[in-house]
Amino acid sequence: MKFIVSSTYLLKQLQILGGVINNNNTLPILDNFLFELNNDELTVSASDLETTMSAKLQVESDSEGKIAVPARLLLDTLKTFPEQPLTFVVEDNNTIELSSNHGKYALAYAGGEEFPKAVSLEEPSSTKIQGDVLATAISKTIFASGNDDLRPVMSGVFFQFTPQNLTFVATDAHKLVKYSRDDISASENAEFIMPKKPLNLLKGILSGSDSEVLIEYNESNARFTFEDTTLVCRLIDGKYPNYEAVIPKENPNKLVIDRGQFLSSVKRVSIFSNKTTHQVRLKIAGAELNISAEDVDYSNKAEERLTCSYQGDDMQIGFNSRFLTEMLTNLNANEVQLEMSLPNRAGILTPVDGLDEGEKVTMLVMPVMLNN
Amino acid sequence: MEPAKQRKIIHVDMDAFYASVEQLDNPGLKGKPIAVGGSSQRGVVAAASYEARKFGVKSAMSSVIAKRNCPELIFVKPRFDRYREISNRIRNIFFEYTDLVEPLSLDEAYLDVTENKKGNPSASLIAKEIRQKILDKTGLTASAGISINKFIAKVASDYNKPNGQKTVNPEEVPEFLEALEIRKFYGVGKVTAEKMYRLGIFTGKNLKEKSREFLDEHFGKSGEYYYQVVRGIHLSEVKPSRIRKSLGAERTFEENISSEVFMLERLENISEEIERRLTKSKVAGKTVTLKIKYSDFTLQTRSKTLDYYISSKGLILETAKKLLYQEKMKNSVRLLGISLSNLNTEKPDEKEEKKEIAVQLKFDF
Repeated sequence: MKFIVSSTYLLKQLQILGGVINNNNTLPILDNFLFELNNDELTVSASDLETTMSAKLQVESDSEGKIAVPARLLLDTLKTFPEQPLTFVVEDNNTIELSSNHGKYALAYAGGEEFPKAVSLEEPSSTKIQGDVLATAISKTIFASGNDDLRPVMSGVFFQFTPQNLTFVATDAHKLVKYSRDDISASENAEFIMPKKPLNLLKGILSGSDSEVLIEYNESNARFTFEDTTLVCRLIDGKYPNYEAVIPKENPNKLVIDRGQFLSSVKRVSIFSNKTTHQVRLKIAGAELNISAEDVDYSNKAEERLTCSYQGDDMQIGFNSRFLTEMLTNLNANEVQLEMSLPNRAGILTPVDGLDEGEKVTMLVMPVMLNN
Repeated sequence: MEPAKQRKIIHVDMDAFYASVEQLDNPGLKGKPIAVGGSSQRGVVAAASYEARKFGVKSAMSSVIAKRNCPELIFVKPRFDRYREISNRIRNIFFEYTDLVEPLSLDEAYLDVTENKKGNPSASLIAKEIRQKILDKTGLTASAGISINKFIAKVASDYNKPNGQKTVNPEEVPEFLEALEIRKFYGVGKVTAEKMYRLGIFTGKNLKEKSREFLDEHFGKSGEYYYQVVRGIHLSEVKPSRIRKSLGAERTFEENISSEVFMLERLENISEEIERRLTKSKVAGKTVTLKIKYSDFTLQTRSKTLDYYISSKGLILETAKKLLYQEKMKNSVRLLGISLSNLNTEKPDEKEEKKEIAVQLKFDF
């Protein structure tokens, strides 16, 4: 088994795939990349058992073979090379020899058979989506997902596909984001919960990408295929909470405000907030939004006033400033609307402008009760 | 179990307070039978002047019956702010004598004058002075009862009403209590009184003859209270500034209603009223109780305790609404009330507890 490949081309692909590999693997074989050579097509895979990602590389070769190469060692070496052709030759003594312009390096490899196979999807349904759109959907939602081991379903992003649109939802029970696209649809209704790790990988690879992603899925697994890359992952098992039910229907109090101003005020005022609740208080009367925070333990206090446009009754509501900051940062509108009903009901944050055709973002945040 | 030192307690009770204030502020009403309260079909007399009482008009009486008893009766709308203002002036007079003042309502208070600021050993003279001062400063008359505990003082204040006072000296206590009609005992209402009558108890003397076991058997927990009180034992202290335990408001409807839509409207008004009062006394509460009185006068309460304190009408209404829809109404409804308890004024000694704890709310998944 022998092949020649460009050093930077190989490194770029391996770095992407390397994201799958966990730092501490109980199964040592998972510390390797699987190299499968079939003449001039080299397929490299990485896996953590839950997620397996593979990429096809074009190399110069006329041989075949399948070996597992230590990932860390290979990556550390490749990073040091300027662009040049590298030659890999499998030797008899269970090592693979790598020749560069500078010299020779031998890496011990393991047999390719030991490497776990990616699951094959039987009778999958499928839909197609533009890479960049998927990346956006992920980045708009994933921050809102939870980390609670007791509620694993909320640790992922809920994909809800219908013949009318695609919807992506994430929540940690305190905040919730619903991102939907009416300009894309699936052939049939489908719902599944994607774990965070593969989504973060996809987000990294696909952001700004024009290429089309084929999403195939069944009850337990999903496969994402684009260009020469395939990602297969296990889905989170369980029923996603009925998120539609928690979106308040009647919200008579509507606040429209400049997103940048609102965000920087919240950020500044929150420095003075209680260190455990991060509570900021919004007091809205007329066309004035008063944002304040207080840390009673240290007698720290801050208050800012902003002009806004407001329809509704004067009201006071408390929010965790971290949630507000995350949500406002995640939007890219110039103006946002915050709809509210009561101080113990979720506030609904939506962008007023800056959306693409068919794109819709709804963010919900549960208040922190003001105890006085 | 007698306290080491004999206490001197005064119960001061203003005479027809609300009605007298109205007559004072509006001389045209002087000497006329007046009733403070609503004159409507379902209105209730909150207070009646002595002129009206002669005709059998009593507080808590339905306005319609009152009007029937006394056709000349003039109804006056209550002005609680004004009553509160005068009540505060009276309270300040009390404070000239002692800090141990326990207001029962706007027009009544207990004073413990065992040790008093004037060093006057005679509680009877203090009571006289206080009543005179009240008259001088407000133009209103008060009655007082003076004795060794709150129970007897309260009963005694009624003795020479209006504009009089009654002292029950320690040695007179047994005789006084024995002679007392059972329905005059504080804590004995109409129902208990009838029960007492059936058991052959008409006076304090009859009550005293009954054994502790007998009273426990027939009156449960209250048995002990009756047993002790008739022996002149009532150790309850005069507690300055009673800590409010709950705050509520209720409405009796002009006509019984059975549609929940109309009830909601009423609940909204009641919530508004509670919010106003909460703001005034700067408190918030965690437990919302919905009181429903059906047209057959049966009473039902439903309550819900939240994780956080609330004080705004929106939240009170929302919780009350949930309680309203929790179960179907058994009958048409005569009265609805909301009260808020578990107030943040409780546990004042536990500073830690009182510290504001903000609660991050979660979606209801």
